[in-house]
Amino acid sequence: MILSSPFAKKPNSVTAVMLWVIVASLPGLAALIYFFGIGVLINISIASITALATEAIILRIRKRPVSATLIDGSALLTAWLIGLALPPLLPWWMTILGTSFAIVFAKQVYGGLGNNLFNPAMVAYVLLLISFPVEMTAWIPPTELAGQSLSLADTFSYIFTGTSSQGYDINFIRQGVDGFTMATPLDHVKTELSQGYRIQEIKVHEMMTGLSGIGWQWVNLGFLFGGVILLFRKVAAWQIPAGVLLGILSMSLILNVLNPDAYLSPAFHWFAGATMMGAFFIATDPVTASTTKKGRWLFGLGIGVITVLIRTFGGYPDAIAFAVLLMNMTVPMLDYYTQPRTYGHTKTKGVSNE
Amino acid sequence: MERSSYPSEIPIFEFPGGIHPQENKQLSNRSPIAKLPLAKELVINLKGQAGNRSIPCVAVGEQVLKGQLIAKSDGIFSSYQHAPTSGKIIAIEKRPIAHTSGLEDLCIVLSADGDERWVELSPAEDFTALCRKQILARIFESGIVGLGGASFPSHIKLQREDGIDTLIINAAECEPYISCDDRLLQDNTDEVLKGAQIISHLYKDLNIIVGIEDNKPSAIEALKAARTKLRMTFDIAVVPTKYPSGGEKQLIQLIAGKEVTHGKLPADLGLVMHNVATCFAIYEAIIQDKPITDRVVTLTGKACGKPGNYRIPIGTPIKHLLESTQTLKSQKLIMGGPMMGFEIQSINAGIVKATNCIIMADSNELKPEQTSLPCIRCGECMNACPASLLPQQLYWHAKADEFDKTEEYNLFDCIECGACAYVCPSDIPLVQFYRYAKSNIRNNRVEKIKADNARERHEARLDRIERVKLEKAEKHRKAAEARRKAAEASGQADAKKAAVAAALARVQAKKEANHEASNSHQADKTKEPKA
Repeated sequence: MILSSPFAKKPNSVTAVMLWVIVASLPGLAALIYFFGIGVLINISIASITALATEAIILRIRKRPVSATLIDGSALLTAWLIGLALPPLLPWWMTILGTSFAIVFAKQVYGGLGNNLFNPAMVAYVLLLISFPVEMTAWIPPTELAGQSLSLADTFSYIFTGTSSQGYDINFIRQGVDGFTMATPLDHVKTELSQGYRIQEIKVHEMMTGLSGIGWQWVNLGFLFGGVILLFRKVAAWQIPAGVLLGILSMSLILNVLNPDAYLSPAFHWFAGATMMGAFFIATDPVTASTTKKGRWLFGLGIGVITVLIRTFGGYPDAIAFAVLLMNMTVPMLDYYTQPRTYGHTKTKGVSNE
Repeated sequence: MERSSYPSEIPIFEFPGGIHPQENKQLSNRSPIAKLPLAKELVINLKGQAGNRSIPCVAVGEQVLKGQLIAKSDGIFSSYQHAPTSGKIIAIEKRPIAHTSGLEDLCIVLSADGDERWVELSPAEDFTALCRKQILARIFESGIVGLGGASFPSHIKLQREDGIDTLIINAAECEPYISCDDRLLQDNTDEVLKGAQIISHLYKDLNIIVGIEDNKPSAIEALKAARTKLRMTFDIAVVPTKYPSGGEKQLIQLIAGKEVTHGKLPADLGLVMHNVATCFAIYEAIIQDKPITDRVVTLTGKACGKPGNYRIPIGTPIKHLLESTQTLKSQKLIMGGPMMGFEIQSINAGIVKATNCIIMADSNELKPEQTSLPCIRCGECMNACPASLLPQQLYWHAKADEFDKTEEYNLFDCIECGACAYVCPSDIPLVQFYRYAKSNIRNNRVEKIKADNARERHEARLDRIERVKLEKAEKHRKAAEARRKAAEASGQADAKKAAVAAALARVQAKKEANHEASNSHQADKTKEPKA
């Protein structure tokens, strides 16, 4: 075969990119484990095995090289992100269902890595969320509030049988010491607001201490820390998380200024729910994000604005997944209309031809 | 690598993108320019320059002297070629040429007699006595082409006179491995600068700027020393080492802070740019009356037995270079640099005027052949592109044969520098896709012109047939009219006469119609294209 120039090559690879994302998610993962138990690790394991197996089967059916493709790490990364996003005690088969759906219908159906329009991890998340809304919002309270931490045996038992080893169902451990079922801070705010409470009244709850509630602020800080590593390693395009955070900031600031009693502060939004993981680890998936510099800003801003709008006015407590999928749809258009100005040209293309 | 601490004498601007590949220049830039033993047989490629093939003007069996004209320009866009040494023309035939395709092309084969006898030369120490026309003619007749790699005939580049105020000497030499310009600037500083003076003289007086990367401290020192010695004035623009700073458009952006507008030339900015080796060749042509018979080539690579820079006669076969540098185990041969060069397919091919470097690589030196992974749109290529293109989008559309889309994304502004492919984490041979799309678009353009011509001819033919038909109908109508009139004139009484008259009129009309038809038929024939 005649090889064309260049004959020099920078030593970097797709696999390294994928692995860096996994490594950078470790601080966030550590925080999740610390506050919500070992369940997230079990989720990641189930998702990883499912993703690799599904990808292998589909590649076999599509007559594509199996091992050469699996080592690109993309299936593993999708599984990893799904595992991080799911509630820690989700029944095992839901994780399998979501992950395999993501690999088959959100990735391989489009032609595999690089060809999919939608973020596979978020497709899995949304599929599960709208199919099993109860299980998917059944986050357990942070260990500090629950009073005791869940044993490894109980964690396994909940995930694989639905009850603890003593036969209690999941709502048992979701109850705080006062007997009320605990939700996530975002969930709590939504419920209380609908009952006519003001933000200031809602925030006195013991769960709501700190920036954005016990546990959650640390999870977000963990992902922020890892995310900054990604930016420094130039693994992720910095414009996207900057856009997401700016979009959240501006939208929530407008609402908060209009009516601080009814709308959460920007700081709360930044460190609540899946914000930081979404901004740095989900939205930055290069395949499904805009690929131009301006496009990345717009893509990020859109996610930020939509997230705040759904969190505030929509039916779901968190919205990163929906926001990402909605913005995924706009990517081809963003890419076309945000072309940079080429050397020697006066106008940017896409808007006008020469 | 060592960096020059000498500050740039004029402000330096920036160009977007660019990369920092391993320079590997110290392999070859440590020793002065040397010579190798003469090859027994030289293979001079008649298409060794940009443009058209030169036309041989010697016969097989003829004895030639070094520097004797052996092939002429085609008169439009080509260049002269001269005997690189004295000897006998033993063949004018198709031989493998140094080209990425590995194809054969017409070459003059010269058997060297080893005497190196020159044709009679008439040196002209004082070039200022020569007028512009004389100098240009001599540059043309000396077969000078751009020796930086593009080998564009220099006399064409120097033709435009008005509006030019600045000469930029391109000494950036940004490709890894290559050090021939670096060495030429150290070993023949005066000659290079005098060459620049000659170009300046061509335009009365130009502002001269030498653009050089900061990884050539010795060359910068040599330039400074020679400037004092020759009492010349020029600015040394020291640009940071970043590939592809030596690209014409990029060096202009670095030095002038301006872009060459799409579809325009550097001359439209008042600039003309020539490479170091071209200046040297112009010096030799004007002052010493020597046409291009050899050039400085960097022979390098980890497999090269005696890496360095050598003055090598044009047409010297690669095989001879491998043997005389004791290079035995080279895995891969690259002509040019690793970023824009090409793999040599036949070691029997001779070097051409554009050959600035031959990399004799060992097995783990250059990129191994790799299967590429899918594009993940990471945008590394976009960040590396010096032309601010979107290589990822160009790739996407080129791969899908959506050539109109690649043009919308300004495919033709791609300079094929290879920075995108260098950084691609998926190891996609991006430049190959762009070349593929470009050649398809060019072919389509030619096809479209052909198809348009054919359609026009077809429409003209249909028009003609229609016209002839109408003319015939008109004739018949006229004949009928004549008959009717004849009948009326003779009256009903003489029906017999009328019948005769009508018959006559019919015959007449038929004759006329026939005549007309054969005329137009003939016209058809002459108009019918030969294609």
